[in-house]
Amino acid sequence: MAEHDTVPDAAPVEEHVAIPQAGRLGRWIDRLALLPAMGLVVAMLILIQEVVLRYVFGRPTIWAHETTVFLCAISFVYGGILCTARDRHIRVVLVYDLLPPAARRVADILISAVCAVASAAFAWAAWQMVQRAAWRPDGSFHLETSGSAWNPAFPGMLKVLLMLALGVMAVQFLILTVNYARGTKGAR
Amino acid sequence: MEFFGSLSSMGIETGTLVLFAMLLGLLVTGIPLAFVTLLVTLVFALGWFGPMVVPLITSRVYSFVSSFVFVSVPMFVLMAAILDRSGIARDLFEAMRLIGGRIRGGVAVQTIFVAVILAAMSGIIGGEVVLLGLIALPQMLAQGYDRKLAIGVVCAGGSLGTMVPPSIVLIIYGLTANVSIGELFTAAFVPGFMLALLYVGYVLARAFLTPGAVPPAVTDPVPTSEKIRLLKGLFLPILVVVMVLGSIYGGIASVTEASAVGVAGVLLSTILRGEFSWGLLRGAAMQTLQTVGMIVWIGIGASALVGVFNLMGGINFVSDLITGISDNPTIIILFMMAILFVLGMFLDWVGIALLTMPIFVPIVVELGYDPVWFGVLFAMNMQVSFLSPPFGPAAFYLKSVTPPDISLGEIFRALLPFIGLQIIAVALLILFPQIAVY
Amino acid sequence: YTFRFQSSDPAGNPNFVLHQSWAEEVTELTDGRVEIELLPVESIVAHNETQDAVATGILDGHITDLSYFSGKDPAFGLMGNPVGAWSDPEQMLDFIENGGGGELLNEIMNPYGLHFVGAITPGLEALVSAVPMDGVDDLKGVKIRAPEGLVQNVFAAAGASPVNLPGSEVFTSLDKKVIEAADYTVFSTNQAQGLNDIAPHPVYPGFHSMPLVEISMNKAKWDAMPADLQDILTQSVQDYARRLIQSLAEADEAAVAEAEASGEITIHDWSDEERAKFRGIAQGEWEKVASQSPAAQRVYDTLTTYLNDKGLIQ
Ligand code: NA
Ligand code: NA
Repeated sequence: MAEHDTVPDAAPVEEHVAIPQAGRLGRWIDRLALLPAMGLVVAMLILIQEVVLRYVFGRPTIWAHETTVFLCAISFVYGGILCTARDRHIRVVLVYDLLPPAARRVADILISAVCAVASAAFAWAAWQMVQRAAWRPDGSFHLETSGSAWNPAFPGMLKVLLMLALGVMAVQFLILTVNYARGTKGAR
Repeated sequence: MEFFGSLSSMGIETGTLVLFAMLLGLLVTGIPLAFVTLLVTLVFALGWFGPMVVPLITSRVYSFVSSFVFVSVPMFVLMAAILDRSGIARDLFEAMRLIGGRIRGGVAVQTIFVAVILAAMSGIIGGEVVLLGLIALPQMLAQGYDRKLAIGVVCAGGSLGTMVPPSIVLIIYGLTANVSIGELFTAAFVPGFMLALLYVGYVLARAFLTPGAVPPAVTDPVPTSEKIRLLKGLFLPILVVVMVLGSIYGGIASVTEASAVGVAGVLLSTILRGEFSWGLLRGAAMQTLQTVGMIVWIGIGASALVGVFNLMGGINFVSDLITGISDNPTIIILFMMAILFVLGMFLDWVGIALLTMPIFVPIVVELGYDPVWFGVLFAMNMQVSFLSPPFGPAAFYLKSVTPPDISLGEIFRALLPFIGLQIIAVALLILFPQIAVY
Repeated sequence: YTFRFQSSDPAGNPNFVLHQSWAEEVTELTDGRVEIELLPVESIVAHNETQDAVATGILDGHITDLSYFSGKDPAFGLMGNPVGAWSDPEQMLDFIENGGGGELLNEIMNPYGLHFVGAITPGLEALVSAVPMDGVDDLKGVKIRAPEGLVQNVFAAAGASPVNLPGSEVFTSLDKKVIEAADYTVFSTNQAQGLNDIAPHPVYPGFHSMPLVEISMNKAKWDAMPADLQDILTQSVQDYARRLIQSLAEADEAAVAEAEASGEITIHDWSDEERAKFRGIAQGEWEKVASQSPAAQRVYDTLTTYLNDKGLIQ
């Protein structure tokens, strides 16, 4: 492996980046994405160690699978935000492609605005969910746990994270709407 | 006028039509797919019921992302992203050309063979299409294969994961219908291979009938030293396959864990080849995050939509629709196939399974059909749904990793003959149930 | 009144079909004043999200394994499956109906926005096992799948190695010997889904699990009903619980006969001493759960008082 120490990391392969219209928030979403991305690598390592512990040593853990699912869930949710900032969500552009550039801009504005409203509605709905997952009926704070022998608070944490993610998504779509309306330049 | 709750006055028949019209209408406008289904769901949640029902959507989103079933998707995508950044895939296909290049279309046939092996390693769709799209597609294009043929092989082959056992579609069917998952797997074995053979037959037919569809066969002799060098390229990939399949069939790892074994195997291979670097791992992980974000969010919307449709009374509506169509059991089965086909144009398999299995299974059993056979038929129908436009997940997964000059339209056009082959497979399975149950 | 209930059973499961007969019976008993539409698992929300959905009025009621909500409060886990407490479904029903269990559940559940109508149970589950097991000692080191809740802790305390796998991976994992045993469900269903074919040493009757399945409703909607309808509903659940036990016991017997006739499946029945030994281990775990929340402590106190009064534990 020593030979690699002298070889500087070449320019990253076809790294995608947030589109300019995503603004500063988009760039931050891009930067922080390394955390959930590495979470997937960690999830892989956890599964491997679980296989080894169970098969070789006959001592499975009680935490491996729940942790893996949690890490993957975070990456799924974050991946959705990342695709928003990078404009990498899949679209069927049959009609969109027929439009002249000016109409496309209007379409961009409308699409982002509609998605912003929807995301905001979901963030509000997620707040209803979080109220039941983070507090007991008597008002005491208690993050919903998984109920397993290990009993981590992953369900409660994930519901909170999902609410935050939907909120960030709403803001990101709002920024996109504003920047498309302003006509901020950027390749589509 | 009060909007909340006003839609329910149109009744479930009209409501269903409006819902599908809205889906289709929004689908072509260029709104991100994940949000098309979510938007329709939101409109109906608010319009049919009111704001208090919207948390149903977030509840389903939560349940969807925290499901153990989908853990293998990022693992397969990660495997693909690492392979893509190493030289392993290129060497593999060079070696494959050495063997398969002597027959016209041989490399495409070998790609289908690789797809079947991948399908035996995984129970779910998503990762394999991405894997073949990153690895096999560029190689086939570089060797001079017809673009559409190569795209079709990758999408259709990459979808086999839910047809060849193990299969999550069959497992969920088994739990719903209360039939033996072992029998379902046994029954799906031959139909899965039959479908793969149909693909192979089509590739060979194109190779011999259409000039230029496949590159000419390699005829010039290859020196032995070159052969040995090329065959070395097969060693590491085969080792990874042995590790994964060995860990599943040797009882070392569960199907989901085995997908992580595959990632570890591929990582180990890059280290052995001296290609491993932090930049490679970082780039692969980042690409995986983006690709799974896209894949999972497509499924999220469909799952949420089904929840709201069921709350609207969708289950009773579809159930009455089917039993009211005819007294002839064959016609009822064909009608079910038609419903699955139409739903396959709008939803992904999770949504379709959630919506139709609870309705179809009791009817099929009551009609006296073998529920095991119907389970295989269901899985075969899901193969069609992966490819059929406008909502064709396999096409979307491929699109997420191909260069921009391959458009969704081109992918869908490429898939049409393969959809035809799948429909032939469905028909064969209905005409000759003994293909599955004997 | 038209109510929409979600069951925790899938559509093709015999339990679901039986639950539907209860819904029909309610219509009959109330002369059509109450109609219940029963939906299969996951049709509206996931199996462990129904409590929230009922509380917020998305669903009107549910028929769900109570222990799915252990994560909300461990009290639900302890009440839902106090491993080792019951050796007969009738004992559990008596505790709920006459031993203060039902009232306690309502005290815990009402603040969540739910009214507990009554309890049913599919009866004692059978343990799926690929290796012969005739007593607690045979559990040592066995890789056993166990779902969330108390069951997992008890298996661990008994020396087994609990593996946390979702229901959808049980079959493939057993088939490929990733695990050796699994807490799954009742004998007839295990048999139908082919689990006994790949793991031919089932322990029947089981010793480990008898889930309490709750039938509950949105509290506001319950309170809005006149008292006579409330009474009919409560009574109908109590009657249905007996009918369910009866028909599932018959299904189990038929499945046992089928399994024995196959010649390839060996049914293991634990002796009373071994069952008592396992119960002893389980009771140690009850206390640990009780200490996790005030509600769980109340469940523990009420439960042990009842069992003491009836002479079921010393
Ligand atoms: Na498979
Ligand atoms: Na489709």
